[in-house]
Amino acid sequence: MRLLEVEDLHVEFAARGLDNRVRVARALNGVSFTVDAGEVVGLVGETGAGKSLTALAAMGLLRAPARIPQGSIRFEGQDILAMSDRELEKIRGRRMAMVVQSPLTSLDPLKRIGDQLVRMQRVHGTARGAEARARAEAMLAAVRIPDPARRMQAWPHELSGGMAQRVLIAMALVNEPALVIADEPTTGLDVTVQAQVLDTLRDLVRARNLGALVITHDLGVVAHYCQRVAVMFAGRIVEDGPVAEVFARPAHPYTQALIASTPGRIAQLGYTVTGGTPPDLYDLPSGCLYRDRCPRATTACLAPPPRIALDATHGAACHYAWEAA
Amino acid sequence: MMLDVQNLVHRFPGGVNAVNDVSFSIAAGETLGLVGESGSGKSTIGLLVTRLLAPTGGTILFEGEDITRLPPAALRKLRARLQIVFQDPWGSLNPRMTIGRLLEEPLALHTTLDSAARIAEARRLADRVRLPAASLSRYPHELSGGQLQRVSIARAIANRPKLVVLDEPTSSLDLSVRAGILQLLDELQRETGIAMLFISHDLETVRLVSHRVIVLYLGRIVEQAPAATLFDNPAHPYTQVLLSAHLPPDPAMRLRRHEVTGEIPSPINLPPGCFFAGRCPVALPACTAAPPPAIALEAGHSAACLRIADGTNIIDPVEERA
Repeated sequence: MRLLEVEDLHVEFAARGLDNRVRVARALNGVSFTVDAGEVVGLVGETGAGKSLTALAAMGLLRAPARIPQGSIRFEGQDILAMSDRELEKIRGRRMAMVVQSPLTSLDPLKRIGDQLVRMQRVHGTARGAEARARAEAMLAAVRIPDPARRMQAWPHELSGGMAQRVLIAMALVNEPALVIADEPTTGLDVTVQAQVLDTLRDLVRARNLGALVITHDLGVVAHYCQRVAVMFAGRIVEDGPVAEVFARPAHPYTQALIASTPGRIAQLGYTVTGGTPPDLYDLPSGCLYRDRCPRATTACLAPPPRIALDATHGAACHYAWEAA
Repeated sequence: MMLDVQNLVHRFPGGVNAVNDVSFSIAAGETLGLVGESGSGKSTIGLLVTRLLAPTGGTILFEGEDITRLPPAALRKLRARLQIVFQDPWGSLNPRMTIGRLLEEPLALHTTLDSAARIAEARRLADRVRLPAASLSRYPHELSGGQLQRVSIARAIANRPKLVVLDEPTSSLDLSVRAGILQLLDELQRETGIAMLFISHDLETVRLVSHRVIVLYLGRIVEQAPAATLFDNPAHPYTQVLLSAHLPPDPAMRLRRHEVTGEIPSPINLPPGCFFAGRCPVALPACTAAPPPAIALEAGHSAACLRIADGTNIIDPVEERA
């Protein structure tokens, strides 16, 4: 079942500079992807590619000065961009939920863990009182917090980073949403803890048939926890497809460069990639935005590349995508 | 030996035992990787060997000279030959100085070059780390993170040091930018024979850049080996657990995960025996009695585990379900 459908999403920011001129930063430039029930989709890209902005837009959290001049976001068939704040509040935290990167600043430091989990349910009217407490405790057990009954009484500062991240996952899932968006859910955690948190998330996705969008810059997380991946560069999806397919036959030169930049590939093939800076969002070139860094660029790349379908599920926004495949 | 560290101990105020009897050495032209999770003491060791911290115990020999208790004036002189690059280039460069002046600063401190010669040398340094010449007149906020880390590296190598400590030098950088910095470090070492202590939690990067690797757990060395040996044949149960938790960026590689339970001991109240014994699937009663000695497996490879004696140190991985 289709949960989230983002189509041709554009987001821009107008900012007045020191010279009093208004300039427009084009942060998202036509983002399209879908998330279905029961699948984990990875959204991968480097700093400034627009990953977190895409997540905020999908949650209906963008406010002025952000503007959405073009595109649509549909969640469970409803048009997110047409909804009022009141309508959005009914689905956010209820039907769709978010897990953010910094768990300790996302928990209320003055409330016990159990009370925060109960409040999530009371606010959305899903449960209250003893029933809410029982469900909170069960949720803590589901995210593999040891001794959940005792942890209900814990304060956020008493939790380790990995433990706090699991509490955030519990808070996101306690109202049994259909979709969870996790923005860098394990960045900053140690590898052994990262594995535990990601295992927890994946098991819950399977057990409850959730859809999940995992935003990350870590190709290892994508490789082992996602079924499909969308690669972002300068506010566009440059490649999307099943994870095994994209890693085995990357079609976009940017995806190829990302994979060639991993230490394992460098050890095999040497240093082949020279990094560069992403294009200036205030002054985007026409045509392919990766053109200046691309070893394959030709005059054809002065025109915007369409998404070229390599097969039914794998596509890349590159004029030469079929050459790589 | 360029650097020779013996029985290094560091205890922070409040009784936090950050470094517990660590000994290692680095040869000229060698890169030693230091890996471990948060709280393993790897950054503290970096601060101790550069003498930005004074150790509680042990000795540090740099080029044969005992620098463990050097007075401040002698330390300042020493730092021309012994440098450090930190993780966060935004926080380690003065935002009020231009890149040109930032590059001249170490030359002004440690050489007798006049202003014109310093400017010329700053240009040469910028060129060496592939910073555009135009960046010399810029301020740090005008540069990207990767460019700023190149500035930090240029400052560190300005006086041709013998040893550079690199504390997570690429951890805050994007993948493609990271590769450029690693390539630069590789070139610098080939050109100058500089020794490097490379501190990182990123196992893949450490494997790529290091000749030898030390694995730390709660401020103690659990295993050391040539890089390929350590990653292909880890002997200590903790090393096996750590490596198995790593996610290789390749979906075709199957994960063989070791599951461990139990809490990590507090560095304020460390147990008497092996620090990993409480979580170790193959721990023996003897493991909790006294710290296990380092046992040699082959040339340059040793691990502090009692189980190695009869070959029962290898733990069975759980095959990852698809």
